[in-house]
Amino acid sequence: MFQYIIKRLLIFIPTLFIISLLAFGLSKMAPGDPVELINRGGLSAGDGGQLADMLATEQTYLQTAERLGLHNPVFYLSLSPVSQSDTLYKVVKQGHQKMLKNLTGQYGNWQQVSDYYKNLRTMEAEIYKVAPDSANYSPRRKARRAVVDLFMEHKDNKITRLLETINTATKADSSMFVLQAPAQKLTDSYNKIKSEATPSKNYIPSLKFYGMDNQYHKWITGFFVGDFGYSYQDNRPISSKMWDAMRWTLIINFISIFLAYILSIPIGVNTAIRKDSTYDRVVTTILFLLYSLPVFWTGTLLIVFFTTPEYASFLNLFPTGGITDLPPSAPFMDRMLDLAHHLVLPVVCITYGSLAFISRQMRGGMLTVIRQDYIRTAKAKGLEEKQIVWKHAFRNSLFPIITLFASVFPLAIAGSVVIEVIFSIPGMGKLLFDSIISRDWPVVYTILMLAAILTMVGNLIADMLYAVADPRVTFNEKA
Amino acid sequence: MLFRKKKIEDKIEDQILQNENRDQEYWALVKRQFYKNRLAVWSLRIFYVIFFVAVFADFLANEKPIVAKLDGEVYFPVMNNYAVNLGLSSWEDQFVTKRWDEHNYDFVIFPPIPYSPTTIDVFNTDYVGPFDKQEVKSLRWKHWLGTDELGRDTAAGMIYGARVAIAVGVIAMSISTIIGILIGALAGYFGDNRLKMSRIRLFLNIVGFIIAVFYAFIARSYYFSNADEEGGLLQQVVISLFIFVGVMGVANLLSSFLKRISWLGEKVTIAVDILVMRAIEVLNSIPRLLLILSIVAITKPSVVNVMIIIGLISWTGIARFIRAELLRVRNLEYIEAAQALGFSEKRIIWRHAIPNALTPVLIAIAFGVASAILIEAFLSFLGIGLAAEDVTWGSLLNLARGKFAAWWLAIFPGFAIFITVTIFNLLGEGLTDALDPRLKQ
Repeated sequence: MFQYIIKRLLIFIPTLFIISLLAFGLSKMAPGDPVELINRGGLSAGDGGQLADMLATEQTYLQTAERLGLHNPVFYLSLSPVSQSDTLYKVVKQGHQKMLKNLTGQYGNWQQVSDYYKNLRTMEAEIYKVAPDSANYSPRRKARRAVVDLFMEHKDNKITRLLETINTATKADSSMFVLQAPAQKLTDSYNKIKSEATPSKNYIPSLKFYGMDNQYHKWITGFFVGDFGYSYQDNRPISSKMWDAMRWTLIINFISIFLAYILSIPIGVNTAIRKDSTYDRVVTTILFLLYSLPVFWTGTLLIVFFTTPEYASFLNLFPTGGITDLPPSAPFMDRMLDLAHHLVLPVVCITYGSLAFISRQMRGGMLTVIRQDYIRTAKAKGLEEKQIVWKHAFRNSLFPIITLFASVFPLAIAGSVVIEVIFSIPGMGKLLFDSIISRDWPVVYTILMLAAILTMVGNLIADMLYAVADPRVTFNEKA
Repeated sequence: MLFRKKKIEDKIEDQILQNENRDQEYWALVKRQFYKNRLAVWSLRIFYVIFFVAVFADFLANEKPIVAKLDGEVYFPVMNNYAVNLGLSSWEDQFVTKRWDEHNYDFVIFPPIPYSPTTIDVFNTDYVGPFDKQEVKSLRWKHWLGTDELGRDTAAGMIYGARVAIAVGVIAMSISTIIGILIGALAGYFGDNRLKMSRIRLFLNIVGFIIAVFYAFIARSYYFSNADEEGGLLQQVVISLFIFVGVMGVANLLSSFLKRISWLGEKVTIAVDILVMRAIEVLNSIPRLLLILSIVAITKPSVVNVMIIIGLISWTGIARFIRAELLRVRNLEYIEAAQALGFSEKRIIWRHAIPNALTPVLIAIAFGVASAILIEAFLSFLGIGLAAEDVTWGSLLNLARGKFAAWWLAIFPGFAIFITVTIFNLLGEGLTDALDPRLKQ
């Protein structure tokens, strides 16, 4: 037994590692530049942009990026073509990084590409240095737009056109003449990329190691001490958002599963001992129907028909959603009653699914038990039916049902996403949904990780309980 | 000589016939058992109806007429639409500038529901119910199941929703069945100690895999990001897969030569079963709904993407089924006989072991279709992974949350989901009973 637990715990670690890689990888593949998502478009410099504005924006960007750890490499190691620089990650801006990657992907010469990038940055600064006035307003704006586009562009024809725009713009007004030199330099460096292309370098693999100072390492070590990072949405620590939400999800799920157990045990036992009677058939059919009823349909039906006076005034039984309508200053009992009133419909929705599942399991378990020899012996001995059922059979069929809790619980939490959305309950499911809609990826993948850990712990506990309950279960062989 | 050949052919034919007879007997038994189950039979009939609706959705609900005679010319607009979509044909100007119901046809047959799911009926906007007064020309144009806020016909949406649901079932389950059978067969047939490989082959396969990933995907990442912007992604993926297979092929070819060196050729055992079961455990320890939700969230919104993602994630059940079945089958006498005859492993797996293990997979597929449809409805109910122009049962049901008075949007789409999921569950149970009477208790 002890050995088995140790073994399970040892397996736990690599499983967790793979899941963390998956969650981290998905969060890296998520669309959108994290810094832009945090600052919600407040970063773009105004149209009459001054150099100071641009620098300030850049500064904010870099600070945010540094806080997120984006200036570090992504993982411990990377496999990339030899042409790609191992310092590419130091270019923090995602859009620029992508452009540089695409240019190297085409021409395979990082040295020249990075020269071009430097010249582009100089060009940008130089344009900002030109004082805007009525004469150079239009060409200056054109040039600046072109530079901004160049930072994102990797297609040859488009780059050539944009460079031409810049060159023409520099000739348009006397105040722009100072830009001619950097513009020429920029064009030259771009031509150099093309003339000194070494695309073959793209096909030589190279493995690079970055050490511990990387984004994954920072994320996973933070994760285990409860530091999940910050939400893009409101910059709150994810852990604090999570605990607020977790409370409601736990309350609702515990109530629902408790109810489901209370109801399903007698139902399961009764249907099992009266197998094939009309009662059994009716109840089993109803349970099957409940089991197939999609929870988002029942949820919608309940909220549509029982929360408005739309159809009949007596049907307006429950509040439409949320947790409570009363202010925190209201008396405690009133608030509790109001809360209970709000939770009736969501609890019903979550309960009936688990109810159907647990009852079916209970019935099955009970059926196997009453076929056993010792039950026949008890009958032969002349014991009363009630005594046989509740004293002998019931106890033996109960335990597998209790271990079910460990697997029902994480499922219920995942399933309550839609219920929380329908009834606007500020729990984990609603948090997950809102975070997906607002592209708040760190929250999404923290919830995914936590749900996975919860499921694994649940399974582990279930297995152990099973072993404790039934000494015949041995785990010496492969489980 | 000729005579001998004839004799051999006769013998083979005899054998085949015998085999078929045995198979027929088995399937006849299964069929008889299945048809005894009234619920399952009714489910099958309802499934046929839904399938029919899904396939002929274009002819059942469409704003275009099926046949129309206009100014002496006969048109088949619904049929023509397929040609237009394929780029083989184009619409005449009069059909582009004017709405379909505004022409003065000499003769016309509209589909039973003369609306497409995206047709906006400007006279019946803002949730008009089936029993409310509708602003329609005649009973023929009535919205039998009401409209939504924009004036789109609910009945048309329901019919196209059936198409989405069936497509989800078919595509998602085809993907997961293929993956499940491959992986489950590997684990079940080889177990932990039957896959032996020369050292060099193992080494070259691992190295080859890394190199193949590099050349197929990393080195070509430029082409991928390019194709992502301009289309043609599928083509790039196919090219990459060819490169991948090519590199792996070279690695294996090389190892076939190198294994003659005695040290390199020594065999090592690979515990496939443990590896596969571990992978399944990892996948199963992430709540499936959350995993699908968080993957769909970052991909481009489209129903097809959702189907593929569901398929790529739901193979574990089938793999476990096949594995358990093969663990049983591989110890049966006929497999031993095949081995004694010196058949190759590949041939034994594909020709003998898998066909015998396939029947229980049918059960897993039936239940899998039900859960795939449910997951897709769940996602489109939440509006995640749904393109703006997609109409599904889930998205229709979601509209009910916008206006509680619109009971028709709450009842009909939800009922359709419920019925479809239930019939697949019932079919699964019916198959379970029919295929293995022992389980019927």
